[in-house]
Amino acid sequence: MSSQTQTYQRFPIARRIEHIIMAVSFGMLGLTGLPQKFPTLGISIFITNIFGNVEILRLVHHISATIMMLGIVWHLLVANYKIFVTKEPMTMLPVIKDAIDGIQVFLFNLGIGKKFPQMGRFNFEEKLEYWAFVWGAAVMGLTGFMMWNPLMILKILPGEVIPAAKVAHGGEAILAVAAIIIWHMYSVHIRKFNKSMFTGKLDERDMLHEHPLELADLKAGLAGPRVTNPIELRKRKTIYFPIASIFAVIMLGAIYGFVNGENTALTTRPPASNPIPVYFPQTPTPMPTKVPLVSEGPLNWESYAGPLFQEKCTSCHGSLALGGLSLETYANAMLGGNHGPVIVPSNSGESNLVVIQSKVHMGQLTPEELDNIIKWIDDGAPEK
Amino acid sequence: MSDLQTSTKEHHPSIMIVIIGLILVGATIGITQPVTAVQEFSPGNNTGGDDSICLDCHNKPGLTKDLANGEVLLLTIDEQHFSESVHFNEGVSCTDCHQDISGFPHPEFAARSLRDASLLLFTACQKCHTDEYNKTLDSMHQKQLSGGNPNAAICTDCHNPHTQERLTDPVSGNLLPEARLLIPQTCARCHNAIFIAYKSSVHGAALSLLDDQNVPTCITCHGVHNIQDPTTNAFRTNSPQLCADCHTNPEIMSQYNISTEVLNTYVADFHGTTITLFEETDSDQPSNKPVCYDCHGVHDIKKTNDPVYGLAMKENLLVRCQTCHPDATDNFPGAWMSHYIPSPTEYPLVYYINLFYKFLIPTVLGGMGIYVLADFIHRMVVRIKGVPHK
Repeated sequence: MSSQTQTYQRFPIARRIEHIIMAVSFGMLGLTGLPQKFPTLGISIFITNIFGNVEILRLVHHISATIMMLGIVWHLLVANYKIFVTKEPMTMLPVIKDAIDGIQVFLFNLGIGKKFPQMGRFNFEEKLEYWAFVWGAAVMGLTGFMMWNPLMILKILPGEVIPAAKVAHGGEAILAVAAIIIWHMYSVHIRKFNKSMFTGKLDERDMLHEHPLELADLKAGLAGPRVTNPIELRKRKTIYFPIASIFAVIMLGAIYGFVNGENTALTTRPPASNPIPVYFPQTPTPMPTKVPLVSEGPLNWESYAGPLFQEKCTSCHGSLALGGLSLETYANAMLGGNHGPVIVPSNSGESNLVVIQSKVHMGQLTPEELDNIIKWIDDGAPEK
Repeated sequence: MSDLQTSTKEHHPSIMIVIIGLILVGATIGITQPVTAVQEFSPGNNTGGDDSICLDCHNKPGLTKDLANGEVLLLTIDEQHFSESVHFNEGVSCTDCHQDISGFPHPEFAARSLRDASLLLFTACQKCHTDEYNKTLDSMHQKQLSGGNPNAAICTDCHNPHTQERLTDPVSGNLLPEARLLIPQTCARCHNAIFIAYKSSVHGAALSLLDDQNVPTCITCHGVHNIQDPTTNAFRTNSPQLCADCHTNPEIMSQYNISTEVLNTYVADFHGTTITLFEETDSDQPSNKPVCYDCHGVHDIKKTNDPVYGLAMKENLLVRCQTCHPDATDNFPGAWMSHYIPSPTEYPLVYYINLFYKFLIPTVLGGMGIYVLADFIHRMVVRIKGVPHK
């Protein structure tokens, strides 16, 4: 009975935190990356709206990528410590047995195979996931770097590698997100919610089901760090820590270079170098100069008064003869209208034409024209 | 991957034409109204809507009025042009617009300058062309005008009421072919520098030299009457759709052997993706990513194979790239696929990586799916049969 409640530590707290950092940064990368791959989908627009706009979306994507890169550096430091200092068995390395296990489980599930394999600390499902992540991180890191720093890359490589990197980044993203949903979600959330990544513990029953070989090793005292004498351990540490520190500094520098390697583009579009003026009116057609109605000549009916009246007055005082007055011919003009003569030769003051034109009247004569008419009348209003 | 074939919303290429058509149908209705309304507008017995009485004086050449600022207002109406105008032909008479004039002497004319004169008179258009007039109230020109810029265009700057000929087909309401040609010339009265640039562009040259009815005129992009400010972020962000209205229309593009994939390939690219997401979220945000006209030119759009300016020449493209990427080097323009869809001959690396993932993704996911499904079914069977697992 007590063995049922016996629990075994599967993940120390540092690994659990590492998992959360990876899970969050991976989730954010997918969430902020896929809308950029499918910008016209409604869901992409919805997600972009949550972040505010695509530039913020991209900033979150970059921050998440940076966090993941830092997480990977930390993971490498820890892994190397275990490999070189505490010399723990490399339980994550794939071996032939994993392939056999996979086939056996599959055949067992199909009802063909009879044998369900016994597996160790990390079964083939977990190893597949881990190494898929390694592959994915390498592809995404490399292609992400190329897109983040195209100027740097294109000093060496042809331009085509940038869209190629973008295609690979997008393809790998779909693969990674879908694999997480199919593989990871199924095996640790749907099939059976395995809480060990959060609690750090697995009870004996689950250990027996999923990691029987590790359980056997634990019981036999064969699992975990190999017992080393403290002097040897200290010696390894004094070698490892300086090397690890240098490695860490180089990696941090590389991440800094990754993030701040270049200023690819100006953040604000520069104004046009030779802007075309918006308001640039055409030169207006010059006003037609007023043609003098009457050429220079003697002031008589034929060359001055007649043409002037024809131009200005005969619309009404022509064939219409409004008020009985027609200025069409010299004779009719001298006859006057219903109220008597309008032109009194040699007496412009008595001439009604001058009186009326001195006030406002249609076909208004200009002051100059009126002066000429006064002069003409005062000269006796000659016909020729 | 599908990002190279990502299709955007289907756009109705003819939407602009339909809108303009509707506007013009409205205009036609507006124009034809006064025919029956002449009596109503006629101010008095002096004219009775008879233009010949006005023209008795106003047909005289050189009839002018000196204005307070020294400018000279020409009062002569060119009878020849007037008789060809749509107003004359639709029976609109002088006093329908010049309503304050009912005889001689005319009332005092308050205009102190030529511009004053236009500004005093143009509101008369509102009476018959109500829809168009109201649209102008929402325009860039009206904003400038109410902002104190007297030079901003009003109705009569584009449509001289004494000479304006018919622009639309009275039945269909469509823009007449000859009217199309007049549009850039009309805008040129104030925007002559832009007109000069347009005239030398691929669009402008086709219109003026070949009388090509497909190419855009000013109003195709800027609209008519309610012309909006084209310098806003929103106009810029939405502008690719404007170009796409024609450039994704196979009927038009097939005549010029131009690809209709220009929008899709733009959207699939980093720049287009950004602009598209801006457009779909908040189009009024500023963006440093280029739209069509940042590379191809605004009014001076040239053919990509233009021997001098063509973007097909990498050197020319690099200059455009360097506008925003000042540190760009020779290889940089190659990062933009020039609207090509990757193929074994164009951008083969992109094509083959795309192909690789086309196989890798279904293979990996399919394999995982089959394994997971087998596991799931087995568990279901065990649960139903009640056989304890393992």
